[in-house]
Amino acid sequence: MKKIIVEGLKYKYPLADSLALNDVTFDIKQGEFIGIIGKNLAGKSTLCQALVGLVPHFYKGAYGGKVIVDGLEVKNHSIADLSLKVGMVFQNPFTQVTGSKTTVYEEIAFGLENIGIPRTEIIERIDSVLDLLNIEQVKDHNPFDLSGGQMQRMAIASIIAMKPDILVLDEPTSQLDPAGSEEVFQAIQSLSKQGITVILAEHKMEKIAQYCDRVLLLNNGKVVDFDTPGKIFSREDLEGYGLTAPVYTRVCKALGVKKAGTDEYPVTLEEAERVLRGDGA
Amino acid sequence: MKKQSMWSLRLSTAALVLIPVAVGVNYIGKLLAALLKLPLWLDSIGTVLAAMLGGPIVGALAGAINNIIYGFTDPISFVYAITSVAIGLVVGILFYKGFISSWGKVLVAGLIIGLVATVVSTPINIGFWGGTTGNVWGDALYTFVLAKTDSTWLASLLDEIVVDIPDKIVVVLVSYGIFKGLPQNVVQLYTNNQKIETLD
Amino acid sequence: MKSISLYEEKASFVHDVDPITKLWYIPFAILIPIILPSFTISFLFIGLSLVLLLGAKVIRKTIPVFGFVFLILITVVLIQGMFKPENETVLFQIGPLTMYKEGLLFALTITLRVINIICAFMILVLTTKPSDLVEALVRKGMSPRIGYVIVSVFQIIPEMMATMSTITDAQRARGMETEGKLLVRIKAFIPLLGPVVLGSLINTKERAMALEVRGFNSQAPKTYLYEEKTYQFSKVLQIGMLLLTMAAVSWRIFL
Repeated sequence: MKKIIVEGLKYKYPLADSLALNDVTFDIKQGEFIGIIGKNLAGKSTLCQALVGLVPHFYKGAYGGKVIVDGLEVKNHSIADLSLKVGMVFQNPFTQVTGSKTTVYEEIAFGLENIGIPRTEIIERIDSVLDLLNIEQVKDHNPFDLSGGQMQRMAIASIIAMKPDILVLDEPTSQLDPAGSEEVFQAIQSLSKQGITVILAEHKMEKIAQYCDRVLLLNNGKVVDFDTPGKIFSREDLEGYGLTAPVYTRVCKALGVKKAGTDEYPVTLEEAERVLRGDGA
Repeated sequence: MKKQSMWSLRLSTAALVLIPVAVGVNYIGKLLAALLKLPLWLDSIGTVLAAMLGGPIVGALAGAINNIIYGFTDPISFVYAITSVAIGLVVGILFYKGFISSWGKVLVAGLIIGLVATVVSTPINIGFWGGTTGNVWGDALYTFVLAKTDSTWLASLLDEIVVDIPDKIVVVLVSYGIFKGLPQNVVQLYTNNQKIETLD
Repeated sequence: MKSISLYEEKASFVHDVDPITKLWYIPFAILIPIILPSFTISFLFIGLSLVLLLGAKVIRKTIPVFGFVFLILITVVLIQGMFKPENETVLFQIGPLTMYKEGLLFALTITLRVINIICAFMILVLTTKPSDLVEALVRKGMSPRIGYVIVSVFQIIPEMMATMSTITDAQRARGMETEGKLLVRIKAFIPLLGPVVLGSLINTKERAMALEVRGFNSQAPKTYLYEEKTYQFSKVLQIGMLLLTMAAVSWRIFL
């Protein structure tokens, strides 16, 4: 079942001279874990925001084509309506703090109060996301007193608590150390396994390779390719798009070892290990 | 289209988020003026910026909320909320009419805003304090004029004017300087008047 | 995080009164002395408010506020006592300065009025958590969007102050002068204020987006994490104040 359909999407920010998204077309199935990669200004954030309706409703600007999210055409629905279907986590955790709540617990409740979830369910949902994102120990702290990593996890928890079918994350681990970011990816993966469709824009290619089912490669607002991590990271022209393949891929490429029976290089540690041990697979 | 939007009551989320920031800017402006021992209040830069960016309604709301919040640290300021609202409204209108678009015009605009603030504050000063303002220079002038003319109104008006006009001129100059330093994509965010163009 | 509000958390019967009732007390305490202007009534209300502040155990918190107000009131007393145009009856003389009865009575009226208003506001401000007041008002029908704006100020100001003190320290470390001649101090104002203001304004974009995706503009009826607090005697107190106001008005008209 197609969860997201994007057809000929074009978008230009107000006052901008060129298109930020230019004729973008793809679709995503229910439960897929999708990575979006591309260099800075390739259109990753704009595309993420187009899936939740911030493009075009928040910015205005010039818009063409179609985005259909879980049956709703983005152009014809408010961000508030769309927020019930699709949640979004931004890069900067600091600006995502509402500033109107004095504890992490209340902060997570903010969205739930807005969309009218009954009180008892609010409490259940908060307790469950606190546990999922491992921030139970700071639930009574002031949101502004958290570390960058805790704040980031609170931001994710605040969105997940709203139980969207689709989760869009724009570099959600930019403020986290490797251990913290691994924890967050684990949490996202467990949501993905529960059937939530995940779209993730990310610079950390190793993570993309490890977790994503398919990867969308953007350049100058256009889709270059949309395929499995193996196919995408085996492309010879990757550096031309300002990207570096995962370290495992680069090592195997230098050694000239491909996955048996394919034209692809390994993209994760496990794949590389198997190939280098000569297990074939 | 733009004409209606100046008084639009349907505020965008960005415009609403602008208001607490405006109040914060007022607060730190006042704090900094005290820290640097400047002889002015400089406590309305945020209100002026909010009115320039979001229009008279946002400016007035920022002014009102500013004084309500200040009231929680200093109850007297509740009483002067009307002055702040007037400043927000007038700046919004002046900006919309193009009176805050060059350094020269800004000087005149500051003068007008100072006069408006004076006219609104004077009755409050008279009703609340009997006409004085608590500012040393202003109150000295008040005493002098009162002794010469016997007019509480004139004395009170002049008391307020000597403080308000220089203050508002500096406030509007500073606000205009900050406004010019803002990226265009931030400036156009707060107004609710654009439509989505189509590329189909 | 440092709070800018004067609210003091204490257990007292005043703290337990509904914020809306305390809000009503302000116009009540201001209006009655206007309807029935007499020193007795003014003293009565100031006395009542002071008793409530004492009962709330927050009277110490009022001292800085009154300190500031008294400073202004002293100039009022001096200026009005000496220079009020209606001054006729000499009360006493200190050197070349003459104090008149009319001016001093007028200054007393002002002083009582100001103290009365401030006391009434202080009861609300010192014994009510701002977010409780806003939530009570939103439940009564105030726009939750405006409620958000008011509550968020209390969080955003300390944030901005923290940023500014970082910048102030950095600029001083780089040799900026913040003391000395007026011109030097004026010159320091913009580089200290500018970065905080620009940064905060630029942040509004992302904050607004983050609010939007969390249903800020949702049409659904809002729910609340906390159960509505129930307060005793709200109705009795509110109706009591209304009746007393009506009684004062009829007293003024008919007697």
